[in-house]
Formats: sequence, C-alpha cells, structure tokens
Amino acid sequence: MSESTEHLVKSFDNDLKRLRDMLTEMGGIVESQVAMAAEAIMNRDSGAATRAVEEDPKVDALEREVEQFVIRMLALRQPMAGDLRRIVGALKITSDLERIGDYAANVAKRSIVLAQFNLPYSLAGLAHMAHMVQDQLKSIIDALGSSDTEKAVEVWRSDRVVDDIYNALFRELITYMMEDPRNITPCTHLLFIAKNLERIGDHATNIAETVYYSVEGEVIPDVRPKGDTSAYAVVRPKE
Amino acid sequence: MSATTMSGQEKSGGFGGMQTKPATAMNAARIAIDNLDFYYGDHKALKEIKLDLPDRQVTGMIGPSGCGKSTLLRVLNRMYDLYPGQRATGQVMMDGDNIIDPKMDLNALRARVGMVFQKPTPFPMTIYENITFGVKLHERLSKSAMEERVEWSLTRAALWGEVKDRLQASAMGLSGGQQQRLCIARTIAVRPEVILLDEPTSALDPISTLKVEELIDELKNDFTIAIVTHNMQQAARCADQVAFFYLGEMVECAPAAQIFTSPKQKRTQEYVTGRFG
Repeated sequence: MSESTEHLVKSFDNDLKRLRDMLTEMGGIVESQVAMAAEAIMNRDSGAATRAVEEDPKVDALEREVEQFVIRMLALRQPMAGDLRRIVGALKITSDLERIGDYAANVAKRSIVLAQFNLPYSLAGLAHMAHMVQDQLKSIIDALGSSDTEKAVEVWRSDRVVDDIYNALFRELITYMMEDPRNITPCTHLLFIAKNLERIGDHATNIAETVYYSVEGEVIPDVRPKGDTSAYAVVRPKE
Repeated sequence: MSATTMSGQEKSGGFGGMQTKPATAMNAARIAIDNLDFYYGDHKALKEIKLDLPDRQVTGMIGPSGCGKSTLLRVLNRMYDLYPGQRATGQVMMDGDNIIDPKMDLNALRARVGMVFQKPTPFPMTIYENITFGVKLHERLSKSAMEERVEWSLTRAALWGEVKDRLQASAMGLSGGQQQRLCIARTIAVRPEVILLDEPTSALDPISTLKVEELIDELKNDFTIAIVTHNMQQAARCADQVAFFYLGEMVECAPAAQIFTSPKQKRTQEYVTGRFG
C-alpha cells in the first residue's frame, strides 16, 4: 500500500522524507565502500582499500543519526500502519547497511595483505561475485528510495546465485590450499573475502524483505532456500 | 535472517515474526449486526452495516466526525427512539431478539445494554443513590443486598477505595475522572450484558484516562464492550477488534494489531496514519 497522499501534518511528511534521504545517503556511501573494496582486490589498489576503510566512521555516525531520529519520530509522531512499518523498517535497514559497511571495510583490509602475495590463479570468480553483490546493493538501495517492491523481490531472489558462486569458490580455494601449503595464507584471506561478500548479499536480502514488508504490510510470500551450503562441504585430497 | 530450520529453509522476514502470529481469536458474537441502515429523517447515516460484537471483548469504533460510529452506538440501546424521524432497519440480534424491533421492551433492553457518555453525567444526589437509582427500577433488593451491590459495582469500577467513606456525599463533589468512573459503576450496577462507551475519556485528564482504560480491560472479563473513540492510541490500547467507519459505511473491521500495523483498505490506512479525517 503506497503513501500517495500527504499527511495533514506537513512536518510529518518532511520527517519521513528526511528519514528516507538519510538511508539513501548511507546506502550510497556503503555502495561506494563495496565498490572500492572490490577494486582494491582486483587491481591491488591499496589507495582504494584505505579509502574504503576511511568511510566507515561516516557510516557509523549516520547509523546513530538514523536511530536517534527514529526514536524521536516514534515518541513524537506515534506513527501507525504504513508509517509505523516504514519507520521501524528504517531502524532495521540502517543496521543492515552499517554491517555491510563493516564487511566492505574488512574486505579492503584483507586486500592490503593479499597484495603482498603472488597469486598463481585467477580471481575471476571472486570478481564476478563482487560485481553481483554490488549490483544487488545498488538495486536494493534504488528499491528502497522508490518503494519498489518488485525490484526488492528481484534482489531477494538473486541472492541464490551469489550463494552458488560462494560455494564454488569455497571448494576451489580449499583445493589450492591442499595443492600447496604456501597458498594457505592468501587463500584464507580470499575465503574470508568471499564470505564477507556473501554476507553483504545476505544483508541486501534482509533489506529487500524489510522494504517489501514496509510497503506491503506482509512478508514476501515465498520461502527462500538457504544458500550457503559450505558448512556441509567436504573436499578430500586426491589419493 | 534468524529463523533457520534444519531443512535449510529460511522464513522470509517481517518484523520479529509479527506477521506469522495468529490474529487475536474472536469470541462468538454477543451482538450481531447485519444489513443495518439508519436514517435521520431523509438522511441515511448508516449504510448496510455488518458487524459482530464478540462476547466479553472490546470493539473499538473509529472514524472521522459524522462517520456514523456514535449513531451505531445509539442504535444498540435504541437511544434514537427518543427522537421522532429517526429510524433503523435491518437486524441487530442479541440473544435471539432483534434490538430494533418496535416490540422490544426498551426498559429491559437498556438494563441489558448500558451506556456511558462523553461527559460524566452523575445525578445530583449522593454517590450511594447514584448507584441504587437504576437498580431500583429493575430489581427489589433488601438493604444489605443493595449495599452489597453498591460495593460490588464501585469496586468493579475501581472507585470503591476512593469513595467508601463518603457514600452519602454528593456525587457532584467528585473529580471529573471519579464522576466518569461513578457513571461506569452506575451502568454496571444493573448488571448489563453489554456496555457502550461513547468517547468516555475525552473530557478527562491523562491519568484519569489511563484509569478508565485499565477499568475497561478489567470489565471485559464480565461484559461485552463497544467503545467509540477519537483517540487512535486509545483504540489501539483498549480494543480487541477495531471497526473503521467512513461516511456511514463500515470500511474495515479487524483485530486492533492489524488495523494499526497493516490495514487492508486504503481509506483505513490513510485515516490511521493521519492523512485525512
């Protein structure tokens, strides 16, 4: 149910707009953090890595700002129905975004260590995964800004592919480690990087669920298969 | 993402699973309204109302001024009978009787369906007499039985502790909040089945309001309650189900939690979020 009409109290509309603007601003910063982190890995660009890490305090500050604003709105406006869902949804989304920022910063930090190693294998799989996650993030921030539930559901479904790539990468990296113990350090960092990217995708789907609920008043009418199966993965050395 | 089951399936979100909880279960109807129309002369003020008041639960009625919610309350104990030119058609069934049937015994009906108004309306008599006045019309009680009834109803109305030492004092000396609770005590003294509350706290301060709300919560153990209120938070706090009225129609009736988190109708959504009304 969309909020087409305006409130009788104009300042309430302004508050809601400000809340949305704060979230899209936060989303924009987080998006650029993920982009810089991906660039840092692929191009061994430690400058990009540093910039990604340096954005983190901004994201944390915005999260606190959103939290305080939400509490203020709940106390002063006593929102109902769609407004209530939107405002409580903002509280959830801000913590998802903050966590995405943390993961991006962690990826960036690991890329600096990774740059010290000569990697005898391609990072194409990881690059593909990073692009997919960036796309997810961009789409969900657009969907959030425009209350586009169709787009939100699209993002929600696309996480399956990210999970599949992650599972494949997991096996691939373990194989490299088994082939040569000198691969263990870089591959462990790569595993964490892949896992961080996969978690970013999960948080994007969380946001998708929240956007859908905020707008429609009901949960996405479907169950999503749990994607990360690496917890059950066994890769045995060749005899 | 928290709910992960062994089969590897995840529930798809919502806030804290509030969507997955079953809606408040409603009891069987104490009053069943069906196809009710109401006219003030030529003006049709209620249109094909269908609504159940579940037994021993609170039904909140909300809507902008003139939407018909108070009119509906006035139908439920035939208050409109006092005014010529006002008439109702349809069914308002209680225990097999149609309340709006002209053959209905109005005195008996009003003992079964009590009403409390916006402004406290104590009679200009003692506190004790305020309670006994209505009881005497319907029952012949011994002095001790009557005293018991007075204590019972004042206790149920959460007023006994405050007035037990001055039952013979004038009711007009009570505070607004106390007067309103006295009116509620007076209503329940005749042991009705249904209590109608027409904006019972709109003339009260916040603390008295909370006392009355607490009282409503207590009273629903014994009585079926319908409350008309302009205060949406009050409806959210007090009511088990909430009916939204607009221009003489009942737009939506649902458990309170649903009306105030995810109403199904656009007009309900706009009203509860303060977009019109």
